[in-house]
Amino acid sequence: MTLKLGRHEFDDQQTLMMAIVNRTPDSFYDKGATWAEDKAFDRVTQVVEQGAEIVDIGGIKAAPGVEIDAAEEIRRVGSFVGRVRAAFPDLVISVDTWRAEVGRVVCAEGADLLNDAWGGADPELVDVAAEYGAAIVCTHTGGVRVRTRPHRIEYADVVASAITDTVAYAERALAAGVDRRSIIIDPAHDFGKNSFHSLELTQRLDEMVATGWPVLVSLSNKDFVGEALDLPVGERLLGTLAASAISAWHGARIYRVHEVVETRQVVDMANVIAGRLAPKRAIRGLS
Amino acid sequence: MKVAVVAGAPALLAQYAGRVDPIAEVREACLAAVGWLCADADAVRVVARPADQAERAHGIEVGYQERVARELLAGFAGTVEVVTPEAFVLDARPTLLVADGSARRGEKAPGHLDERSFAVDEAIERSLKAGDPTDLALLDLTLAEELLIAGAPALRRLGELDPQVRSAELDYAGDPFGVRYWVARWEIG
Repeated sequence: MTLKLGRHEFDDQQTLMMAIVNRTPDSFYDKGATWAEDKAFDRVTQVVEQGAEIVDIGGIKAAPGVEIDAAEEIRRVGSFVGRVRAAFPDLVISVDTWRAEVGRVVCAEGADLLNDAWGGADPELVDVAAEYGAAIVCTHTGGVRVRTRPHRIEYADVVASAITDTVAYAERALAAGVDRRSIIIDPAHDFGKNSFHSLELTQRLDEMVATGWPVLVSLSNKDFVGEALDLPVGERLLGTLAASAISAWHGARIYRVHEVVETRQVVDMANVIAGRLAPKRAIRGLS
Repeated sequence: MKVAVVAGAPALLAQYAGRVDPIAEVREACLAAVGWLCADADAVRVVARPADQAERAHGIEVGYQERVARELLAGFAGTVEVVTPEAFVLDARPTLLVADGSARRGEKAPGHLDERSFAVDEAIERSLKAGDPTDLALLDLTLAEELLIAGAPALRRLGELDPQVRSAELDYAGDPFGVRYWVARWEIG
């Protein structure tokens, strides 16, 4: 399906790198490395140079911690989105937020995509996306509250649950007036899930792709990778890339990543093997 | 009548296309020569070698030279007849020869380096450029086979037919991957 992300359109089957840019002092991977606005801007510049099509700007870390109200979240991401918009007109700007109030501000500043990592916790977020012609990511969290860790959560069939919930969210967004080409679903690895759930979602991601909605995966350095390999944050790149390759094989379209260059290579390689993408340049045995 | 010589690299085939064309300059020259050849023509003859035994053993029924020619001629609405080099005779029909030089022109060439390739290729190239079939008729096919000169049978046959060339243009000559490619156009008679 053609993707329309705000003011940008992408062809069928084109894969996109969504680079994570944290305006937080405490995110799990970068631990505040881009908390200062100029550092965050430098990170945007860097990932654009690395070929990222999307930046995903977040003002609140996903894990539990100090409560950040909407006003503080807006202070962190609002004007920053405007600054990025002005500097990079061709870049897709996503904002990682569940709040409609924040969504409204960032869309006015030029955001193209609202990445709701918390599964529609604020029902009015879809209305903001529709009003501003923005795209929306519909995630599966199994109904957990925002910024909580999973605790003894179980599913009879986690993939069926992810499909049911994300498709329902997508249909709700469509009914609210969001363009069909602007609705993305995301199984949300680790959110409301133990590692077995995230692994099963990776293994069976083709079932989510088969819904016809474009699929985003957010795998980068997450705990399910760490637990699969018993490796701490900082040593999960290879595991992340393996999960990315499997996701690409199954047909995921958008990859939310810390490491743009490495993920791009892996995703392209998997898609070349899958026959969805031609080799970049082939001459071996053909000259 | 017109004769055009074009490259036969399988990289020209759509089935082997990458996102970046490694052979864009060669392709452009080939297509231009084919366009010139087909202008005002109702029928075109292609001289290409058939699939050899090894190719047939792999299930390939139509050789790459013919497939390259047919793809280059994709925009041509007239009839196309494909003949082997041995069956090639000159008449009024425009003729497309698929013919490359040696594939042994460097250490990274498909057939590795054979220093003898340069002199043989140079003689062919001189003939194509000058419109002089003499050296083509003298091609040693045994040596040419050792040098992986895929176009040798067709070029030698062209030389043996001893055409009177009115004008000759060598549009492309190069070996970007250790294989000598030519794009040449002759007007005969």
